[in-house]
Amino acid sequence: MSVNTARVLTCIQCGKCTGSCPESGKTPFNVRMIMRKKQFGRAVEEAIPWYCTSCGACTLRCPRDVKPSEVIIDLRSALVEDGQVPNSIQKALENTFVQKNPWGRSRAKRGEWSEKLDIEIPHVSETQSKRLLLTCCIQAYDPRCMVIPANVARILRKGGLEFGVLGEEEACCGNEIRRIGETGLFEELMEENIATFREYGVREIIALSPHCMNTLRKEYGNLGIKVSHYSESVAAMISQGVLKPEGSYDKKVIYHDPCFLGKQNGVFDEPRSILKAVPGLEMLEFSRSRETSLCCEGGGGRMFYEAEGTYERNSVVRVNEAIERGADVLATSCPFCVMTLEDPATEKGLAVKEVSEILMEVLG
Amino acid sequence: MNILVFTKRVPATQEEEIRVIDDGKKVDLSKVPFKLNDWDNYAVEEAVRIAEKAGGSVAAVSMGDAESDEVLRRAIAMGASDGFLIEAATERQDPNGRATLALNFLRKQALPFDAIFTGVQAEDDQFGSMGGILAAKLGLPFASMVIGIDTFEKDHVIVRRELEGGLQERVKVSLPCVLAIQSGINEPRYVSIMGIRKASKVERKVFKAADFQEGAENMIEVERWTYPPTRGGATMIQGDADNICKELLGILKEKGVFQ
Repeated sequence: MSVNTARVLTCIQCGKCTGSCPESGKTPFNVRMIMRKKQFGRAVEEAIPWYCTSCGACTLRCPRDVKPSEVIIDLRSALVEDGQVPNSIQKALENTFVQKNPWGRSRAKRGEWSEKLDIEIPHVSETQSKRLLLTCCIQAYDPRCMVIPANVARILRKGGLEFGVLGEEEACCGNEIRRIGETGLFEELMEENIATFREYGVREIIALSPHCMNTLRKEYGNLGIKVSHYSESVAAMISQGVLKPEGSYDKKVIYHDPCFLGKQNGVFDEPRSILKAVPGLEMLEFSRSRETSLCCEGGGGRMFYEAEGTYERNSVVRVNEAIERGADVLATSCPFCVMTLEDPATEKGLAVKEVSEILMEVLG
Repeated sequence: MNILVFTKRVPATQEEEIRVIDDGKKVDLSKVPFKLNDWDNYAVEEAVRIAEKAGGSVAAVSMGDAESDEVLRRAIAMGASDGFLIEAATERQDPNGRATLALNFLRKQALPFDAIFTGVQAEDDQFGSMGGILAAKLGLPFASMVIGIDTFEKDHVIVRRELEGGLQERVKVSLPCVLAIQSGINEPRYVSIMGIRKASKVERKVFKAADFQEGAENMIEVERWTYPPTRGGATMIQGDADNICKELLGILKEKGVFQ
């Protein structure tokens, strides 16, 4: 019996999982029902596990430590081993196998964002600190998200922090791949990345995406490498007075906590402290914020998969609330959240910004 | 039904900027990742589906360097029971050379088969003729552009072929035969890394291409690789974003694309 199966047997069907799930209630996905079926050894319908966004709320709230989100990964793994994967997710997996990123873009172009920058960024091996700025696939390739690593690099440089990059030697971190259930591919990516970190003696990693930070911190094992999200470094620089936002940003900004940064890794205050340090900026909060932040539905492979059904997307719910609360800008600190929120926000005339984009405007 | 599927390991070039090097003698593939030829992926899937329904077995054959073992492992993970590598130091592209190599291999090894599947073409050379040449050399019936296999009996298959102008042709082909499988004929299953690892435990037989060279001369010689000539016709709009947008709108209106 696997550890996850044993855990399921301890489920008391309290329903806290379903109560906190961003998909239960509006879709056929019901975590409590899945746990019950697993307890009785009944089959779970094939389409069901793919609704999960891996936000982690069920696992965080479960009083018996059943870890439902891990049980769902097991269900997906069985489908992956059987070759029964939704087409768009299959494409993402095959792309990751070939090009080491789910979008299937050329690995040779992974470092292009840094080569076109107005500042020169060395390879991590050439740095004294052996501090690596880890780009993340979507930020290396997606035109909307490429601005994020560029801005963060400029900000860190202004703050006097030494860092380097890996360019085309960086492979996908595998956070989403593991959650899609492709354990073997996740292991391959992890092994490749660890070998690269060791080759260059990497001592610290500043991740640009909460998803990368999550898996590097929690799932790569003890590498003796400090892993953080860039917002933690930048918040520290601001509090130490190394970075001084000087311009004015006279806008009402509402902050959306990304699941993998906030509820799964406890980084709530750092992005907020960056925003609060911006002169003129008025900070707003969602009714569901911090630990109870509503998932944008971009995690757990959902970036590559549109679940069946005609229900309202959480990003629409989020954007509507932001507008109701009078926000001019919806800020967040995760590229997946930027992508999912920006779609409905643009339609309604609301700007979506990654925290670093706002900071960059007032640093001049 | 016993099916042999020819599979090829090809460079995944869609996202790459291909560089011609050594004064046109070579294409630089040193940083390009490789994968199973897309058409062959469909061919393997189709063969495995038929074997699952009608019984029989599927064996994958690859002609290339040692790295081509990768596509055999993948085919085995998809459901093929055997993998045969005809190993040569360098990948041969000439379709007559490849087909003759395959012919000699089939004859010398006397592999039993009811059908041979190939992809319609390979992504790298795009000759699209190896299957046809092989069928001719074997003296077997051949159908190209196969987009559906409707029935498979002991002595024949009924297949649908894709023709020009959206037409389809339904033909009865006697067995044994050679079929060139078109992409889109099915939805190939996902092959997990765990599946490939398991497949690695199945022994793949390795043969030396040098043992099957008789008559396998190349009929096509690559003289040089060149880039397509650059053509004019593009208008670069200069200026700031406002002016660029105005000018672009003007052009689109003038051309009748935007009212």
